[in-house]
Amino acid sequence: MTSRRTRLLAGVVAVVAVIVALLMTGLGRDPSVIASPLVGRAAPNFTLPQLGGPPVTLAKLRGQVVVINFWASWCTECQVEQAALDQAWQQFQDSGVVVIGVNFQDTTGAARDYVRTDGVTYPVVEDAGSKTALAYGLRGVPETFVVNRRGRIVNHVIGPVSAATLITEINSMLLKGTQ
Amino acid sequence: MTAAGTLRRARAGLAGLLVLIALVAGLATLVIVAAGGHPRASQAQQVQQIAAGLHCPICKDLSVADSPAPLAQQIRQEIAQKLRAGESADQIRAGFVAAYGDSVLMSPPRHGLAGAVYYLPLLVLAAGLITAFMVLRRWLRAPSPDPPQAASPPLSAAQRRAVAKAVARLREEEPG
Repeated sequence: MTSRRTRLLAGVVAVVAVIVALLMTGLGRDPSVIASPLVGRAAPNFTLPQLGGPPVTLAKLRGQVVVINFWASWCTECQVEQAALDQAWQQFQDSGVVVIGVNFQDTTGAARDYVRTDGVTYPVVEDAGSKTALAYGLRGVPETFVVNRRGRIVNHVIGPVSAATLITEINSMLLKGTQ
Repeated sequence: MTAAGTLRRARAGLAGLLVLIALVAGLATLVIVAAGGHPRASQAQQVQQIAAGLHCPICKDLSVADSPAPLAQQIRQEIAQKLRAGESADQIRAGFVAAYGDSVLMSPPRHGLAGAVYYLPLLVLAAGLITAFMVLRRWLRAPSPDPPQAASPPLSAAQRRAVAKAVARLREEEPG
């Protein structure tokens, strides 16, 4: 009888432990952040018109580290990360790194004004029909994808990306060399 | 053959014919329904159906079909384009799942860990039924908490005589 009770108690404790473990795991995460299934996969290719320049095709940048940043002129958080993206572009453009701003749900005029007044120095392309945004599983702006030299997405940042994150990520890929 | 007999036979023949016509009509209806009874949904309806099964990525708890957001509108256009290009509904859904993950689906998929939401309630129900059955069976089989006392064996003639003798002696000893 005692052995049966012990077994029953052990079973109940095991079930409760599993439930608590699941809750602990869930509570440790930000529910608004959903991991992109694209990380580790080939970055979807795109050819998009550039503001004040020739169209940009991602596939043609193979062999370089590419930072793809989705932004909009109406997005206040995008202004927060602006300096970090510019810093990364200025620091690494001669080391085989390309930063591309993909303008999302915006007008050409507003995007041009933003680029001029905020002093955006890296190439900015327009995603008029949001096809590229949909291919990248975009849930809002800003979102940043880091693509390695083999064309695979290695990092995805939701929200403003910091200079430290960008520089660390880029440096690690440049150091690996073969990536 | 009498006139009444002829009339009876004619009525029976007519009834048989009507039953036959009804059977043929019923079968024909079944064949038509099975062959093409479900009219092909128009492309707009197909777009609506697929969009209703996808979460609007920038909204809270709204499907792509219900959301007025520009991105939801662009997703509906994308679905229509893909349908025109010959993609099936499953292929289109798979494309969105590849970009957004399973969370883009309004209903969780039936595979993987998310599939547990479909099977776990059934498992819990089955476990509950089995437990209830076992408990009930144990209750029915368990002995009654107050079993009736076994009847005392009858006294032998010698014992009865001894009892009678003892009672008589007690009565004699009683005062008065």
